[in-house]
Amino acid sequence: MRNLFNFILRNSHWLVAILLIAFSFYLIFANNSYQQSVYLTSANRVTGWFYTTTNNVSSFFLLKKNNELLLARNAELEKRYYGLQSLMEKLTTTDSLEVKAFVADSIATPKFDFIPAGVVNLSFSGVNNFITLNRGSSHGVKRDMGVISQQGVVGVVANVSPNFSVVIPIINPKFRMSAKLKNSENYGSVSWDGSNIRKAQLQDLPKHEIFHEGDTVLTSFSRIFPKNTIIGIVSDMGKSRDDNFNTFNVQLATNFYTLQDVLVIKDMFYDEQQALEETLQQ
Amino acid sequence: MKLSYLYEIVLFVMLILLQVLLLNRISLFGIATPVLYLFFLLKLPMGRNLFYVIISGFLLGLIIDIFLNTPGMNAAATTIVAACRKPFMSLFFEKEEYDAFVPGINTASGPFIRFTILMVLTHLTLLFFIESFTLFNLPGTLLRIAASSFISILLIFALDGFIFRRKRGEQV
Repeated sequence: MRNLFNFILRNSHWLVAILLIAFSFYLIFANNSYQQSVYLTSANRVTGWFYTTTNNVSSFFLLKKNNELLLARNAELEKRYYGLQSLMEKLTTTDSLEVKAFVADSIATPKFDFIPAGVVNLSFSGVNNFITLNRGSSHGVKRDMGVISQQGVVGVVANVSPNFSVVIPIINPKFRMSAKLKNSENYGSVSWDGSNIRKAQLQDLPKHEIFHEGDTVLTSFSRIFPKNTIIGIVSDMGKSRDDNFNTFNVQLATNFYTLQDVLVIKDMFYDEQQALEETLQQ
Repeated sequence: MKLSYLYEIVLFVMLILLQVLLLNRISLFGIATPVLYLFFLLKLPMGRNLFYVIISGFLLGLIIDIFLNTPGMNAAATTIVAACRKPFMSLFFEKEEYDAFVPGINTASGPFIRFTILMVLTHLTLLFFIESFTLFNLPGTLLRIAASSFISILLIFALDGFIFRRKRGEQV
């Protein structure tokens, strides 16, 4: 008995090590509970504050580039504004005696609202990439909301604290969403194989699908992204997992290296649609 | 003795900041990411209490994990390396050496270099294999381990030579 105690005492540091390693592996494999715990992610107050502070410094160096992007975006919107304005004029000056049997409601509520957010941290060195944003539940961000940038789709909100949120971007193997080519009606799914940060894979498109390099890849049916939001551009043929489907490499529209400002998409009818669909399941 | 603990805490914090704010944003050629926080375990005095080594290794990994949103990966790898520190040390250093002796590139070049290479290789091999559980791509993973180890080891030697040269001169 004394020998046993001696043995345990002499090797107790191994015991501690094994316990701690077991705890670490528990964290690794209990992924779901981890994603929900705000304390052990960069969404918690301390780490969030840290990233915000340092990001204030680094964003200064990207001001010029972001300014250029905003100007380009501004120009594009201005163009559309003038286009719409001329359309309006044409419509209002037509014959007022004409009878219109059906006119769409002009004050319909928009389906989507956007919450602007800043990127406070971004990891892309490893496989498990994520993005931390400086907007959280107190600003209306919830889990499973879509995130886009000026350039295209970014990812989906995975975890929210009062002032920060963590986004799983396209460049994370856990990310998956349905997508289609611009001039076709077949759907595939976009995922990332972990090799190149600028390229994702569009899988499960039927073999007979005609495609060209430079085809635009858009979102298709999705609960969280507006339809036809740009994801990227087909760059070349990828490795296929089986013979019936094609896989393409997609040059992502969003440049994650310089990502600074994003928009979180708030679906105004999410709760309503959710409630309706749940009644069916019961 | 007290000063040494204070010094270790400062090193601990600085290494975490360096790793999280700077090094993890580096991805050289898309494969090599320097991992420098293991330097803390390398620079503990040789005869330091094993509980202290293991628990501080675990905390180091866990804090890095919290910042990088990688559940438990760095914690697991670092704890294992911390537990293996003593057996690894006995491979390269003489048993009789003084307990408070801190190995360094200027004081015990040969053994320290071999010890560092073994520690970093073990650590990064564990880390990248744990990380790529979900995404098995063996050649890619091995390439990343090799490239990251190379750059990490190089940086550790540079850091060690840079920090400890003047200090050593004062003490002697």
